[in-house]
Amino acid sequence: MSGRIEGKTALVTGGAGGIGWAICRRFAAEGAQVICADITAPGDFPPEGVEHRNLDIADESAVSSAFARLGAEWDSLDILVNAAGIEIEKTIEDTTLEEWNHSFAVNVTGTFLTSKFALPLLRKGDGASIINFGSYDGFIADPGLAAYCATKGAVHALTRAMACDHGPEGIRVNAICPGYVDTPMLQSFFTGDGSGGGGRSIDALQQAVRDVHPMRTYGTPDDVANLVLWLASDEARYASGQLWVLDGGLSAQVQQMRL
Amino acid sequence: MQLASKHALVTGGRQGIGRGIVHAFLREGATVLTCGRGDRPDDLPDACGWHRTDVASPEQVAHLAKATGALDILVNNAGVQVEKTVEDSTDADWELVMGVNARGVFNCCRAFLPLLRKGGSIINIGSISGQVADPEMALYNASKAFVHGLTRSIAVDHGPHIRCNAICPGWIETGMLDAGFTLADEPEVAREEALRRHPVRRFGKPEDIAEMAVWLASDLAGFANGQLFTIDGGLTAASPLQPGFC
Repeated sequence: MSGRIEGKTALVTGGAGGIGWAICRRFAAEGAQVICADITAPGDFPPEGVEHRNLDIADESAVSSAFARLGAEWDSLDILVNAAGIEIEKTIEDTTLEEWNHSFAVNVTGTFLTSKFALPLLRKGDGASIINFGSYDGFIADPGLAAYCATKGAVHALTRAMACDHGPEGIRVNAICPGYVDTPMLQSFFTGDGSGGGGRSIDALQQAVRDVHPMRTYGTPDDVANLVLWLASDEARYASGQLWVLDGGLSAQVQQMRL
Repeated sequence: MQLASKHALVTGGRQGIGRGIVHAFLREGATVLTCGRGDRPDDLPDACGWHRTDVASPEQVAHLAKATGALDILVNNAGVQVEKTVEDSTDADWELVMGVNARGVFNCCRAFLPLLRKGGSIINIGSISGQVADPEMALYNASKAFVHGLTRSIAVDHGPHIRCNAICPGWIETGMLDAGFTLADEPEVAREEALRRHPVRRFGKPEDIAEMAVWLASDLAGFANGQLFTIDGGLTAASPLQPGFC
């Protein structure tokens, strides 16, 4: 038994996405049984220990029946990772009500629904861990990402609230707040209108973005999966109610004066 | 006149933010004293008293306290900056920066707490640099974080009688800011770009900080205690990484 979460059960929403898929693979490699829940199928064939299931986390009846099915299959759920998220690159003026509601439906309501329906199964184990996805954008704003910033601020507050309410039941709740991580979402940001790229090549823009980071690089999905793994494992048994910023030092800085 | 009949001491009133606070306090009817390491500045208003004091010296601060008497408002504004990383910082840099910015605030708080009347207000000048790091300002950044921690401690320990808060200025048009731009390869370009990073599209003025100091000093702020008030034109509300500026 060498796996750090050997024998644990885990469900990862957004499991087919850039970060979610890295988490699913890492969990399986460390001995867990993993459900990759997503509205789309992963691009790669799932490794042993990972099973994809279609799930729209914003649909209450779908979430309810997904956990009812899981309850019939598993004695308990040990780890819930709420990694599903979307971003809309607009100011509030350009954001339609439909877009705003969709952002909240996935990023906030989705986290609420999966956590709510997972709780009975999370209580049955010997200590459980919920890992939500906040963002450094929940603390400081990126321009032209208003709804996204607001949803992540909501996830941060929800994380603390859930930690308070369910800590006594042996359930730890934390949020990871990534900065720039190399995912399809980031590539979309680089090429989108919100990036202010000013017609430069994407390569030049990416290098410039790396240079602003104290570590001179942006993160990979595996960097995030490493922290998720720790928070999911028993090594983190005293960690709860916290927001874990993982951004290569980006937000430790004041905006840079060009010298 | 929001500060009528109040007595105030503002450290470091020779120039910049300290001088702005002196002017605002006088305008609001306070009796104001200020201090600094050198002689009285020629352009200091006659109504404002001047003491030659190095706040880094406990003896000089004790002497100042003896000469001052009862106070309603203490503003710990005196500060210095050295633009170096930890590796390049000398012992003399430590003595200077921590001496004035950290020990100076401690010296004044310790000496003047017994002299502050009930309802008194201590206002420390912290910095956004105490929350997020300015590059190559290691000791300065750390000294301001000290100020933030001390602010909360005083608020907690001495709460019933006095209030203690900190103002965290961003980039304010003072000699300190100009010194930063002169280090740039193209000072005008750097200045223009820095302006674009401020959502309000300007730098702060000493008066912007002084108006917050007036409010914190006044009885209108009677429930404000132990907090850090950032005034930076929105600079630190935005990510340090803005692809449009890369």
